[in-house]
Order: sequence, then structure tokens, then C-alpha cells
Amino acid sequence: MKFECGDLDRALSMPELMPEAREHLKQCAACRREYRVWTEISTAAKELHEEWESPELWPRIQRAIDAEPKPKPAWWKEWKTWAIAAVALIAISVTVVWRPWERARAPASEVGNPVALNAANRDFLTEQALKEVEKNENAYRQSIDRLSQLAEPKLQSAASAVAVNYREKLVMLDSAIAETRANLDQNRFNVRLQTELANLYREKQDTLKELLTRDQKN
Amino acid sequence: MPLPFTANLSENPTDAELMEACKRGNRRAYERLYELHAGRLKSIAFHLVGSRADAEDAVQETFLKVYRAMDGFEGQSSLSTWMCRILINCCYDVLRKQQKLAEQPVRTDVASDSKLPLKVALERALGRLNERQRIVFLLFEVEGLRHSEIAAVLQVPEGTSRSWLFEAKRELKRSLMEKGA
Repeated sequence: MKFECGDLDRALSMPELMPEAREHLKQCAACRREYRVWTEISTAAKELHEEWESPELWPRIQRAIDAEPKPKPAWWKEWKTWAIAAVALIAISVTVVWRPWERARAPASEVGNPVALNAANRDFLTEQALKEVEKNENAYRQSIDRLSQLAEPKLQSAASAVAVNYREKLVMLDSAIAETRANLDQNRFNVRLQTELANLYREKQDTLKELLTRDQKN
Repeated sequence: MPLPFTANLSENPTDAELMEACKRGNRRAYERLYELHAGRLKSIAFHLVGSRADAEDAVQETFLKVYRAMDGFEGQSSLSTWMCRILINCCYDVLRKQQKLAEQPVRTDVASDSKLPLKVALERALGRLNERQRIVFLLFEVEGLRHSEIAAVLQVPEGTSRSWLFEAKRELKRSLMEKGA
């Protein structure tokens, strides 16, 4: 292939054509000038690098950085990530473990009935239960009163020491019942007082039964 | 009293050591980063935005962006390549802000020692190149970056960088020959 002037640009981008190009340059003044400009561009380009003092630039950058919100160090991000993960894990664990445990603890009537777990409803149930107890207590007291009425003539007419003992015991029981009932009026939800009152009634019932049975035996 | 976060910086730290120190908040390391790279960045910016004042603004913005983003720098490209890429984007921002994008940057700060006719002619001819040709020429011929580095900065194949440089030099040669250089 014969190297021509128009091939110079191609040769400048293809080093393998340069030996032929150099041969051509020996004979062609125009291409020699063109090639000189080409090489001088690279030489002159080095002169274009600009250097100047900027004593204010670094202080400006420092001030700008100081005005920036501080970037969090890497360990902080790591710590934050672990903390979030730990909190999430605890929350999941509590949800997973607590709910079945609470369901297991709930009375059978409440299981499967989430409404029963509601605090207001729980108070309502307590009130209902107490009314039930008070209703039973009234019925129990009325039945004991009837028993007392049956035993009353015998107690009044009897002059034996045993009869006197029964009378004193019943007076004591009535006094204790009255006192416990007065205390219960102050606090209707006191289970200990309710139990104590029930025991006193049972004691009175047993005493009356014992008195009536004894008279029948005698 | 010494400034906080200035300890434990070796005399000639590598880029990776510098970045690690910067990430830990070592202000001296950041200043060292500035000392190492600001000169070249200022020169590149000057040729892209056309004045020293604007170039300094672009370099300041570059160091701020580096400061904000240093935690995300994972060393997949070199530090100088990464900073150069940020700088070029900052230069475009400066040009956009000043509504200079449509026109070529006007040299308002011609170097005081620019007595060489070829240098002056070359500076003017450079202003007539398109953006990609000018950037590749500046990075390769003026600032001495390798084609592999330019390819990383501009995120183009290395062959494209070589091709753009050849186009740039051919245009400059043509322009300079017309002016009778």
C-alpha cells in the first residue's frame, strides 16, 4: 500500500502504520509540519497545568465541614443496627412466648374469648360473681334464720346448762356475723371476709342442727 | 492543645489508610487528602469552569461531597479517580448555576507566564472542543492520567477514552494549523 498525505491521521492512531508514515514524512514537508504540530500539542499541553496558591481554600473547606452535621462513625452504625435487631428480636419473642402463656393461664371460659381478657369485662365478671355470692348468702341466711326460729322456743324454755351454752354460743356467733357483715359493707370484694362470714353461718347452722337433733334424741 | 482526632497518621499514608483515618474523623488525615489532591483538582476544574474562583468553588464542593460520602467509599476505584469523578460533576453544577453550560467557558484567568504562542493558541483551541474531548485531553495530556484511570473516571471503556483523545488531538491539530501555529 502506498502511504499518502491523507493517511497520516490514521497512522497517528495506529502505531503499526508509523514506520511507513515516517518514511513519508522524510519526503513531505506539509505532513512534517502537521506531525510537528501533533507532537507539540502534547508538549504544550503539559504547560496548561495550572498551579496557584489558595491559602483560603482549606480554611473555607474546614469551615464548611464544621457546619456539616457530623457523620456517624462506622461503629455507631453497627451498634445501632445491632440495637434495632435486638429490640425487634425481644418484641417478637415477647409476642410469640407471652400470648400462648397468657392463653394457657386464662380460665377455660376465657380461652377463645378474647373479650374476656379485657380489663373492663374482667371487672364486670367480678361484680357478677360477687352478686352471686351475696345472693347465695341471703338465701343461706334466710334458711338459717328459719332454723333459728324453729330452735328459738326450745332455747328460751330450756334451763339446762347445755342449753345455756348453746344460747351463749349462738349469741356469740350472731355477734361475730354482725361484725363481719359490717366490715364487708366497707369492702364488698374482700374474699377473706366473705369466707369468714360463710364459715360463721356454717358454724351457726351446725350449732342449730346439733341443738334440734339433741332435743329430738332426748 | 492538640486538635481532636489528629493522632495515629503515618508520614506517608496510603489512600486506603487516609480514607480509614478520615472515616474515623481524623481531621489531619482529611487535610492530608487535600494536600495530595487539591492541586490537580484545581487545575482540572480551572480548565472546565474557566476561572480560578469558580475552580476553587468546585474543589470546595468536591471535598464536602467526599466528606459526606466517605463512609460509602469501598475502594473499588482509586481515591483520585473517585474524587476526579466527583469534581467533574461539581464543575457541571458550577457551570449550570452560572448558566454557562450553553456557552464555552471563557478564560478570565490566563496564566501570567503564558507567553508561549502555542500554549495560548492551544488554550483557545481547547475551548472549542466538545465536552468529552476536552475532558479526556485535559486528564491525559495535561494532568497525566492513564487511559485506564480516565475510563474509570468517565465510566467508559478504555478504548473509548483512547478514541476520544485521538479525536481531540486531531481537532486541535486542525484548529492550530488553520491559525498558522
